[in-house]
Amino acid sequence: MKSQIEKIDKEYHYFNKIADNFENKNKGKLEGVYVSIKDCICVKGMESRAGSKILSGYKPVFDATVVSKIKNEGGIIIGKTAQDEFGFGSFALNVGIGMKVPLNPHDKERVCGGSSGGAAGITAKADFRHIAIGQSTGGSIVAPAAFCGVVGLCPTYGRVSRYGLMDYANSLDKIGPIAKNVADVALMLGIIAGNDINESTTLDEPLDDYVSFVGKDVKGMKIGIIKESFGEGVSPEVEEKVNLAIHKLKEKGVKVEEVSLPITTKYSLSSYYIIATAEASTNLAKYCGLRYGVSDDFKESFNQYFSKVRSENLGEEVKRRIMLGTFTRMAGYRDAYYLKALSVRTLIIEEYKKLFKKYDALVSPTMPVIAPKISEVEKLSAMEQYKMDILTAGPNLAGLPHISIPVENVSNMPVGLMLIGDHLEEKKIIRLGSALE
Amino acid sequence: MKKFNSDVVIGLEIHVELATDTKLFCGCKTHGTDEPNTRTCEVCLGHPGSKPVLNKKAVDYALKLCLALGCKISPKLIFSRKSYFYPDMAKNYQISQYEIPLGIGGKLKLGSEKEIGITRVHMEEDPASLVHPNGMSGSSYVLIDYNRSGDPLCEVVTEPDMTSPEEARDFMKQLITVLTYLEIFDVNRCIIKADANISIKETNYSRVEIKNITGFKEIERALKYEVQRQQQEKGSIVHETRAWDSEKGMTISMRKKEVEEEYGYIIDPDLVITEISKEKVKEVQEKMPELAQDKIMKYEEKHGKVQSMSIILKNPKLAKFFEEVVAKGIDEKLASYWVEFELQKVLNRHKKNLDETGITPQHMADIVNLIESKKITKKVGVSLFEKLGKKIFDVNKYVEENDLLLVDDESELNKLCKDVIEENGEVVNQYKSGAKEALNFLIGKIMKATKGKADPYKVREIMENFLK
Repeated sequence: MKSQIEKIDKEYHYFNKIADNFENKNKGKLEGVYVSIKDCICVKGMESRAGSKILSGYKPVFDATVVSKIKNEGGIIIGKTAQDEFGFGSFALNVGIGMKVPLNPHDKERVCGGSSGGAAGITAKADFRHIAIGQSTGGSIVAPAAFCGVVGLCPTYGRVSRYGLMDYANSLDKIGPIAKNVADVALMLGIIAGNDINESTTLDEPLDDYVSFVGKDVKGMKIGIIKESFGEGVSPEVEEKVNLAIHKLKEKGVKVEEVSLPITTKYSLSSYYIIATAEASTNLAKYCGLRYGVSDDFKESFNQYFSKVRSENLGEEVKRRIMLGTFTRMAGYRDAYYLKALSVRTLIIEEYKKLFKKYDALVSPTMPVIAPKISEVEKLSAMEQYKMDILTAGPNLAGLPHISIPVENVSNMPVGLMLIGDHLEEKKIIRLGSALE
Repeated sequence: MKKFNSDVVIGLEIHVELATDTKLFCGCKTHGTDEPNTRTCEVCLGHPGSKPVLNKKAVDYALKLCLALGCKISPKLIFSRKSYFYPDMAKNYQISQYEIPLGIGGKLKLGSEKEIGITRVHMEEDPASLVHPNGMSGSSYVLIDYNRSGDPLCEVVTEPDMTSPEEARDFMKQLITVLTYLEIFDVNRCIIKADANISIKETNYSRVEIKNITGFKEIERALKYEVQRQQQEKGSIVHETRAWDSEKGMTISMRKKEVEEEYGYIIDPDLVITEISKEKVKEVQEKMPELAQDKIMKYEEKHGKVQSMSIILKNPKLAKFFEEVVAKGIDEKLASYWVEFELQKVLNRHKKNLDETGITPQHMADIVNLIESKKITKKVGVSLFEKLGKKIFDVNKYVEENDLLLVDDESELNKLCKDVIEENGEVVNQYKSGAKEALNFLIGKIMKATKGKADPYKVREIMENFLK
């Protein structure tokens, strides 16, 4: 098995680290299941870098809560998957210095999507039972799932413990599964979800039996099609395939109506980037070459040392987001940016909540396009790249569970449909999602 | 801005280490072994992926302090990240409170009855400690010890209401009294540090901040030095931050402050914003002990100013001891005399603290009761108390077993007196010829013979009778 994975990795670059040995003697629900872990989630004793050179050689002293749950259920950890450095990207192109870009499993000239690119790539490519653990801040689970043609589920904020996740933006980060089918995603969610005394933002709410909602009749359920997620900026072919899938749901007795999210559409992207970068810029301050990861000769003052280590080991996009985030929380700008973004976020949550009084789920394409070519993305400005998150920023900002289901291909490339559920209603999107399989 | 008119204006920011058993955001101990970097975990070392979990006891302690200082309690508990790069910071941000501190707008009374305004009280974590092996300027490297990293602190910020270094010292003293009374601070292991803002009239109140002054004696020294320096260099005083070098007894410039420091505060997203309900505040309030100033007022109403009482009441341990002695039926003034003089004397002589001796209020009450009911002499009582300082015993039993009860058998005393008179004919003659003080010598002989167990008044009475 290990050589098989090494072979795939050689060609597609899905791993930042492959486990030394594949074994787990525990018995449980994941016995015999191979599980990959996104690089930013700590696995005790296994080099974990969150895709960054600055953490080279860092072996965590503890397992993330999700990792210990997986180990307890017999899952075999096969390695740490490639990602945008610290999760900063939508294409898995912003990999750390000296690391390789993961390639799309369907076309090596195209991107995997990010930031959990390696996770979605290996999921598509594996011909053995495998579930990936991904992580999303603004769309990093569903985006690569859509581009690689697999199922990705991002749970409600607080449903899965973040303990052991190397933070990007703590108020937005969620850990979730990526798999070939909805059943495996539901199985994994049931294992990793739950309250954690080590993580204050986890929810102390009962878990649902997620697997039991796979394949359950969807007749009478009600979904809202997000009007603004179609048309301008979305490729017509993607739109067509998503509409076909919606039609399929209609045939199964799902009631479909059009809904509108004007505030979310207009403001989610900007408030997402302000909050995410503000938090990220504080989270990344600890990477300074003092206690772990790379280090250097300490010749000058500590300020010069920190600057040197950070300048040499952090990538360009990381530096951009640190600067952006530091700016938006500085005195004189905090009110206009950081604090305003927090209030906009509340408005966005309210806008969604109103719709969930009436609908079981909301629907849109996951990504506005099929996986672009690497060469195309490289031509885009940072701003144009950020715009790729237009459809996923909303549910992520509002902490709503969302799932990407592969629908019909466009020119042999997969397309994803996204279902967004109300807080803690993972079971509803699992039920609807499995009806599309 | 406040209009100042006093010659010296001082405001303090005091960091108090709370005496919880574990750190503010992890389960590591706040005390115990001092071997460097042994009381640490992934959280207080700032390892990637670790997350803080709030110590509820620390919040209760901080609430007590806020209530004792008469602060208004925030309805919500919100923590922020204060970002700056420094080698003692595990995460390069400190979890602190910013927009909404736990308490605002309180006051604390000085010994002189003057009230000092409290601007705010907030909670935060302590950074690690930096160790300079050969002193600040003499070391070519610095060591970091994370044992302290994450210890719970309360920062108390005052209004610029103090007008002399002596007042600043008294403020610290009063605050320490409150803290020890609340049992949220342990003088033996908790650190109390102050940053002081000080300005003088001659420089048009150009503000200078002095960092890191430990203890109330040091604060007076540091501020006295600084007042003098500012008066001497008044033409060149600038808005700046200085450090207090206790060994050299001087302040040293750290950095000029052209602009306020930029900390880029954001709300810490790893800690949920929690409500501080009215019920919670009430619950803490009900458990609050009576504070020194209230106690002093209570006793002063009854007895007027009694110096020994106010000294005792400022020390929570002595106050508790005193009140327990009183509860056993001992007169308040008498009890205060015994606690302030006799107990302190014994502790000083044996160089022990109260806990180490094991002396209880019961011991003291037993002795005082024996004296008051004239079963033993005061002299015997004092020496018994002195013996308790060395080793604990049951007072009543000891008195019985060692035959210390007052000799008040009149026939026995009569016989003793007669013997003494016979044996000391010369002294008796001196007395009879008018040297009244000669009687004391004779009484002394009796006391010696009875090992202090005779009532000296009674002996005097008998002697005077015989020698009429």
